[in-house]
Amino acid sequence: MRGFGELEQAIMDTVWAAEAPVTVREVLHRLTAERQLAYNTVHTVTEVLHRKGWLTRAKDGRAYRYRATRSREEYAASLIDQVWASGADRTATLVRLFDELDATEVAELRAALAERAGGDRS
Amino acid sequence: MSSAALLLGYGLSLALAAPALARAGWPERAPRLGIWAWQALTASMLLSVVLAGLVVTVSTAPVSGGLGDLLQACGLMIRAHYEAPGGPAVAAAGSVLALAVAGRTGWCLTGSLLGARRERRAHARVLALVGTADPVLGVTVVEDARPAVYCLPGLGHRIVLTSAALAALEPKALTAVIAHERAHIRGRHHLVLAYAGALERAFPFPAIFRAAAVQTRRLVEMAADDEATACADGPLPLAGALLELAGPADRGGGSAASLAAGGDVAPRIRRLLGPRRPLRRAVTWIGAMAAGGVLVLPFVLAAHPAVAATSVNACPLPYSQVPSPSTPCGLTAASATW
Repeated sequence: MRGFGELEQAIMDTVWAAEAPVTVREVLHRLTAERQLAYNTVHTVTEVLHRKGWLTRAKDGRAYRYRATRSREEYAASLIDQVWASGADRTATLVRLFDELDATEVAELRAALAERAGGDRS
Repeated sequence: MSSAALLLGYGLSLALAAPALARAGWPERAPRLGIWAWQALTASMLLSVVLAGLVVTVSTAPVSGGLGDLLQACGLMIRAHYEAPGGPAVAAAGSVLALAVAGRTGWCLTGSLLGARRERRAHARVLALVGTADPVLGVTVVEDARPAVYCLPGLGHRIVLTSAALAALEPKALTAVIAHERAHIRGRHHLVLAYAGALERAFPFPAIFRAAAVQTRRLVEMAADDEATACADGPLPLAGALLELAGPADRGGGSAASLAAGGDVAPRIRRLLGPRRPLRRAVTWIGAMAAGGVLVLPFVLAAHPAVAATSVNACPLPYSQVPSPSTPCGLTAASATW
C-alpha cells in the first residue's frame, strides 16, 4: 500500500514536471529512469489518479493523454487555506502554530525578545 | 435532602466555579493541570446531571427477574433510601433528562471525533501527493508563500512546514517549533480539543462549556510551549519563532493571515519571555488529586443512599439470609442512617 502511494506521488511528479499532457508510455519512460516498472502497473495507477480526480485525460489517437487537474501549487495552497481557515473555529483537525499579531504588538514583543536575549548573553 | 437535589446543587456550584477557574492565574503556570481541571469540571458537571436524573428513577424502578427476586428485599431497601417526593412524574422527567444529556454528549463527541478524522485523512491524502518529505527534520514540506507550521495528529501523524516557514526560521527556532508540534502529537491534544469542542457545541448553555473550550485551546498551546522549551534551547528560540510566524503581513502571501482570528499568541510570547515559574511538583499533584475528587464526587453523591442501605443488616450482602420484604427493618434502618 505504501509502495502504491509512492507510485502515485511519482506519477503526479512526472505529470506536473512535463510541459504538455503525457501518455502512460511517456510516464513509464520517465519513471523507469529511476526504477523498473511494468506498463500495466503504471497504467493502473494513472487510471486510479484519473478516477480520483487528480488527472484529466483526452483521447489522442489510440492512447489517452493525461494532465494534472490542478497545479501542484494550487493543491498546496488549498491545504494551507484549510489550515488558515481553521483559525476561527480551530477544529481538532489541525493544531497550528501561528496566529495574527498587529504591527505594534510585534514591535513591542521584538524589543522584549531582544532585551531578554541581550540580558542572557551579558 | 435527596441525592438528586444534592447532585443538581453540586452541578450548579461547578457551573458557578467555572468563571473563577477561567480567571485564575495558576493554570498558566501548570497548563497540563489546568487542562485536567477543566476536563474534570465539565465531565463532573455532566455526570452530576445525568446521575441526578437516574437517581430519581431508582425509587420507581421495578425490581424483577431471578436476580430481582433474590435481591428484592435489598432493592426495596435501596428504593426506600432513594425515596423522593414527586413519584412517577419526577422519575419520568429524570430519565428523560439523563438520556437527553448522555445522548447529546455521546452524539456530539462521536461526531466531533469522526468529523475531525475524516478531514485529517482528506488533508493527508492531498499532502501525500503534494508535500515532500524532509527526512533530516522529520517533517513534510509544502510549497507556499505563507509561513505556517502545523501537525496532523492521530494515526500516521506528521508535522508540516511551508517552504516560507522553513526559509524564515533559523535552525534553533526550527527545532523549537518542531518540538512544539511534536508535543501536540505526543500529548494527543487533538483528542483534548475534540472533547472540549464537542461539549461546547453540544451545550451552548451554560457558559461553562464555552469557557472550558476557550481555556483548553489556550492551555494546550502553553503545554506544548512548555514541552518545547524544555527540550529546546530555552524559551527564546520558540518566542522568536512565534514572532516570526505570527508577525504582520509583511511578506508575499501574508495577507491571508487576516483570516486567522484568535490572537492569544501575544500572551504566549510574553509568557515565554517572562520569568518561568512553574508550580511546585507537590502542589501540582495535590491539584490533580483535587480535580480527580471533583470528578468522583457525583458518584459518591449518587451512591450514598445505596451504601447506607447495604451497610445495615436489612440488606445482606452476600452471605447472610435474605429477609422477607415484610420485615419492618426498613424503618429502623432508615432511622438509623438518616
